Amino acid sequence: MGPARGRVYRTPILTALSYRFAVRTDDECLGRRVDAVFTGLRDPSAKAPAQHWYSLTAADGLAGTVDVLRDDESLARRVRPDDALGWVVWDVNRAAAEAGAEHLLFHSGAVEAAGTGILFPGASGSGKSTLVAGLVRSGFGYLTDELVAFDMASGMLLPYAKPITVKPGSFAVLSDMDPGAWPAPGSGHGTGQEWQVGVGEGTGLGIGTPCAPEFVIAPHFEPGAETTLNPLSETQAFFALAVNAVNLVGHGSVGTCALGRLAGECQCFSLAFSDLDEACCIILELVAGKAPRSPADTAGLEGAGRAP
Amino acid sequence: MRREGATAVELDDNLALYDDVGQLLIMLNSSAALIWECCDGATTVDDMVRQLTVAHAGDAAEIAEDVRRTVVKLAELGLVVQTGP
Repeated sequence: MGPARGRVYRTPILTALSYRFAVRTDDECLGRRVDAVFTGLRDPSAKAPAQHWYSLTAADGLAGTVDVLRDDESLARRVRPDDALGWVVWDVNRAAAEAGAEHLLFHSGAVEAAGTGILFPGASGSGKSTLVAGLVRSGFGYLTDELVAFDMASGMLLPYAKPITVKPGSFAVLSDMDPGAWPAPGSGHGTGQEWQVGVGEGTGLGIGTPCAPEFVIAPHFEPGAETTLNPLSETQAFFALAVNAVNLVGHGSVGTCALGRLAGECQCFSLAFSDLDEACCIILELVAGKAPRSPADTAGLEGAGRAP
Repeated sequence: MRREGATAVELDDNLALYDDVGQLLIMLNSSAALIWECCDGATTVDDMVRQLTVAHAGDAAEIAEDVRRTVVKLAELGLVVQTGP
């Protein structure tokens, strides 16, 4: 049995930072999946129309695959439905970074716990998405797994509840988050190269609220590594943030001072891990205790990060 | 002397400098930071050497060479400009 077609499924307006978009598809199964994946970006208060429409339509000549378009522009052709979602997530991420350029943006994950913001700056492969997924599964509020927006005026981290992108290397440890098989067996839909895990209403994964960052934890996934959390000096923390800042050049000296404040005022650590549960436990304990780095380091934080 | 347009952020023993003009972020250690701060248009390189020799035990000639190299590097990066002969 092939996928049910004919009717066009449309999402409501979705907002990624300040980028407004919507998705439509002529595939009922895919329509339901799109709804679930982008739940976290629904914005009932959005009044303005979508800036762009993404279309996922059956591809000609290769059953079970779809073409991905942004308005009239082709993003991908003849890809599996889950991979098509990955293309949309990728493009939304890019557009969100452009639209959110007023904020200082970091290539970083982030979660919230009782008003406390925790950043996980890191390059691709550092384990930040896996760590964020594990923490959100443990009850932390989800802010993002990829692109952190720091509002310099308010000093707050802003939620960007894109779907959590889980890579194959983390499928086993996050197996309970598997989006599952397509609801129409035999439709030709595969499971995709990555999982796009929706968050928010009805998913069991909560979204955090805007919050002040209090911890910066630079993750480093390394197979077989013992789980260790080590304090970072202000300089090391500044460096970890600076190399993962997406638009520091755009914010120049103001952004640099904001980086300095983050490095100086947050408790900053590096986290080496291979065991997700252990890593989540360490972070839970850290946030529960809010242990300072050390008396000497804490004393040194006074007046740090200021511009002359 | 220090060129305008660079923002300094103090970080424990180091100094992060962001140059708005060259869009360059550079980290200076404490000695390089002291040299950069001394580039005020009045302090000479010899004065800097004297200050650093007092602050750091070591061979004065070696410190002098380090100071000159650092000033040249800061100039190459456009963070300081020559104001006198």
